[in-house]
Amino acid sequence: MTATVEAPSGDTRPARRAPRHPVKRRTAARRHVTPWMMLAPGIVLFTLFMAAPILYTFVLSFQKELVSGLGLGSGSRTRTFAGLENYVATFTDPEFLASVGRVLVYGLILVPTMLGLALLFALLLDARRTGAKGFSRVSIFLPYAVPAVISSLLWGFLYLPAVSPFYWIFEQLGWDDVPSLLSPGLVVFAIANIGLWGGVGFNMIVMYTSLKAVPTEIYEAARIDGASERQIALRIKVPIIMPALIMTALFSMIATLQVFAEPTTLRPLTNSLSTTWSPLMYVYRDAFTRDDIYSAAATSVIIAVATFAISFLFLRVVQRRAFGQED
Amino acid sequence: MTITNQTRAMVVPEFHEASDRRSRNGDQRMPLAIGSTAVLLLGALYCLLPVAWVVIASTKDASELFSTFTFAPSTHLWDNIVELTNYRDGLYWRWMANTALYAGFGAIVSTYVSALSGYALAKYVFPGKNVVFRVLLMGVLVPGVIVAIPQYLLLAQVGLTNTYWSVLLPQLISPYGIYLARIYAAAAVPTDIIESARTEGARELYIFHRIALPMMGPGLVTIFLFQFVAVWNNFMLPYIMLGNDELFPITVGLSGLLNQGASLPAMYTLVITGALLSIIPLIVLFLVLQRYWRVDLAAGAVKA
Amino acid sequence: MRAAFRTGAVAAVAAAALIMTGCSADAGSGGSADDPVELTYWAWAPNLDKVVDLWNDENPDIQVTVNKQDGGDPAITKLLTAIKAGSGAPDLIQAEYQKIPTLVSSDALADLAGTSAADLSGEFPSGVWDSVTLGGDALYAIPQDTGPMMFYYRDDIFTQFGLTVPTTWEEYAETARALHAADPSKYLGTFSSNDAGWFAGLAQQAEAEWWSIDGDAWGVGIDEEPTQKVADYWGGLVEEGVIDNKPMYTPEWNAALNDGTQAGWLGAVWGPGVLSGNAADTAGMWKAATLPNWGSDASNGNWGGSSTAVTSQSKHVDAAVKFATWLNTDPDAVQALVTETGIYPASTDAAASTLSEAPEFFSNQPDFYDVAAEAAQSVAPFQYGPNVNVAFSAYNDEFAKAAESKTRQAFLDAVAAMQQITVDDLESSGFTVAD
Repeated sequence: MTATVEAPSGDTRPARRAPRHPVKRRTAARRHVTPWMMLAPGIVLFTLFMAAPILYTFVLSFQKELVSGLGLGSGSRTRTFAGLENYVATFTDPEFLASVGRVLVYGLILVPTMLGLALLFALLLDARRTGAKGFSRVSIFLPYAVPAVISSLLWGFLYLPAVSPFYWIFEQLGWDDVPSLLSPGLVVFAIANIGLWGGVGFNMIVMYTSLKAVPTEIYEAARIDGASERQIALRIKVPIIMPALIMTALFSMIATLQVFAEPTTLRPLTNSLSTTWSPLMYVYRDAFTRDDIYSAAATSVIIAVATFAISFLFLRVVQRRAFGQED
Repeated sequence: MTITNQTRAMVVPEFHEASDRRSRNGDQRMPLAIGSTAVLLLGALYCLLPVAWVVIASTKDASELFSTFTFAPSTHLWDNIVELTNYRDGLYWRWMANTALYAGFGAIVSTYVSALSGYALAKYVFPGKNVVFRVLLMGVLVPGVIVAIPQYLLLAQVGLTNTYWSVLLPQLISPYGIYLARIYAAAAVPTDIIESARTEGARELYIFHRIALPMMGPGLVTIFLFQFVAVWNNFMLPYIMLGNDELFPITVGLSGLLNQGASLPAMYTLVITGALLSIIPLIVLFLVLQRYWRVDLAAGAVKA
Repeated sequence: MRAAFRTGAVAAVAAAALIMTGCSADAGSGGSADDPVELTYWAWAPNLDKVVDLWNDENPDIQVTVNKQDGGDPAITKLLTAIKAGSGAPDLIQAEYQKIPTLVSSDALADLAGTSAADLSGEFPSGVWDSVTLGGDALYAIPQDTGPMMFYYRDDIFTQFGLTVPTTWEEYAETARALHAADPSKYLGTFSSNDAGWFAGLAQQAEAEWWSIDGDAWGVGIDEEPTQKVADYWGGLVEEGVIDNKPMYTPEWNAALNDGTQAGWLGAVWGPGVLSGNAADTAGMWKAATLPNWGSDASNGNWGGSSTAVTSQSKHVDAAVKFATWLNTDPDAVQALVTETGIYPASTDAAASTLSEAPEFFSNQPDFYDVAAEAAQSVAPFQYGPNVNVAFSAYNDEFAKAAESKTRQAFLDAVAAMQQITVDDLESSGFTVAD
């Protein structure tokens, strides 16, 4: 970082107070210092509330607490350097690997379904002949306003056979043995459904507003050439909003890896969810239930690095089209 | 495609859509596509179903909630609201006020900070710019659950845990907001306008506040809404930071009514009624600000 | 440890900040009416603030503020985090008995052995007193309430199907079979993988010793005959299908309590509050009995129950002890605890004098508290260890799998897994574990 090269000693005040400085030098100096001034609040907040905690997590991940004797009474715990022990423990724990596997399955179910439906709804909202647009747009977007803790509670009520309207209907139809949505084989779908419900509207709006930004003249030419609405949607609209699709896919994937509130809220309702169902639940269990923030820190670092790697790979695959361009 | 072209299209989509439908559908007598309308309505139904459940469930008393048919409404909505209001001398409304404070104040400051940073990153050329941007962006990738504990340990060093500040301060920084602000600034603030202001002798911060900020307006509303919803829905941070329930936001407060431990029953009716009431302000906010809702710019600028 | 009193009104919110800056400057003076000692108290019992108001009215020199918590687990989690951070802990905390070894091992509690609280041992049953001293010379908390387990059943359904109240587990199994055979939609109970404290109480009744102190080492005895017996018994009933396998405290369970699908519940003395909250319309239909027994000797376990502890960060230990003593032994305070928070007091004398009239939900059973007293008398001793949290979360995971698979063997495997996880955790933390 060499911002100070042209603005010596980082103090711009002399330059400002002296209007007779050559204009060229003054602009050069302030144009190099002003952005840093503007970035300062962001950088300070980021350093204090994100970078420092992350760094601290990193430090903690290489430590552990050791108990002497019965561990009763003060001073019986000492903090020591643990090396890679916490990392090894996480990587060799089949529970952790299983939680990663479950989240991958969850993501494979959720992300394509959510983005597919969001795209479908967005295209329908953008299509010329669809009705009930305003109502649908608000309705589909509404769940985004419901906190995950609350939405999981609602869906919990709708899933449990004894209080669910669906099972009441099944019963009226004489279907007795419909398995519970919270049974081991189906619970991943039950959780994905909550994620879908909360997320489809948000992604739909992102895509829809991208579509709205496209000048309609583009479509007219295609219509004159005799293209059907469906062809226009698939061949013209989808490619045009591809960057929006990439961004929504990326953020959906990150959110998927971080799934936590939904399975945590549903867990007490069923035998099918363990306290380590997802990687973040695993972190939570270590940090809070087991009071072992050191292991939790190591697992956190692993998750953050994995998230970073996946995002990076994904963007590489899609040719880095989605980040950071401007004029 | 030019940026101005896009921005124009985005500033007026409502109008655009309305005129679109009226003229073309009217002129060409296009029938409404029943299939696609039905699909859309199906989607709306799916999204509204649980909301309808909340509305109906909040009219039931504690026994009816578990004994009558799910979608059979009852008459206890007002009783439930009164009971919720009476719960520990109106604590619920205090939670609402806290949430409004956290989300409102937090989102306003966060939006301003994001706008400043995003504008600086978009409109200045300076060494280290890309490094700063990438480092900030990495913040998007780190889940809140992970940093909440170290945040607590660090804030405890300065004695700020269990205060309003402990929930407000960490949420003033939003890497995603900065990312969006950079794109908005790049797309909505033409560089030549900045240059001409400079030649007229305007100071940099004056240019930002008086020229760039208004131009970024719609985009900033989006960032505000994003951050507002993010803070409104946040659970983990206040859960860890706060011991005094008079400082709780809605999410932590309601979750506490659910998880009372084995020897107390969960207060389902209060939670459900409380959840319903807590969604209303957000719906109102959405309906009011909907016309500014411009997520598209996030993706729009990428096309350039 | 001597408490350093500090003058100056300190807003609860700013307390932590001020501790950092000025605690040593004003040590030595006690509280006065003008300049009261301010204590914060984290607790989750409902309406506890009303009981504390009685104290605050009469003691202008020591003012206590209750911060209501979400429940036992979140309160302890927050306390441990505050202890790690070095500030932010309250003066007093409501701590469940099973949390005390964990808290002590994290150095979160002040030792009260040198204070006036040490004279209270005669007020409480010896088993309860043991759980706040951990059997040693230290004293970590003052007992507040206990949770002797009880068997609740729907009297109307028992009458309808001609069932009698089981007094042994063998009879309980017979009754469960008879009820389920008479009406296949009904169960006498459920095996809940979500309530480790409940299973611990059942194991305690069977005289299990999950933890023990052996010199300088901890013993773990989860996978031993008493607990295996309990797990085998419930695994058998679940495998047979005469006992449900779904967790308690779910909307589904609430519905089942309302419609009679669950015709019985193995709860504890605080059960009336849970039943009236979840199934108000069934008031007068339930009756309470002592827990069925394994043999002819009456024995019982505890589910829940908590104490009032002073944290190691408190600067006002003596004032806190004074308050906690009043709260848990003063007849007026205990009476208020019973009426306002609905607890079953740990103090023997106070319990006898304050508990006479049955809870409203059990107005059909005037002798409710006689049954409760009987249940409280026979509670078997039980030692908790420093990693109860680990064992309990292992219970959740392992017994969830077992309950889902519905086989007797899976229940036994779950007990073995609990033992393994608990021992491994102790060893990796550096504890010495006896073989």
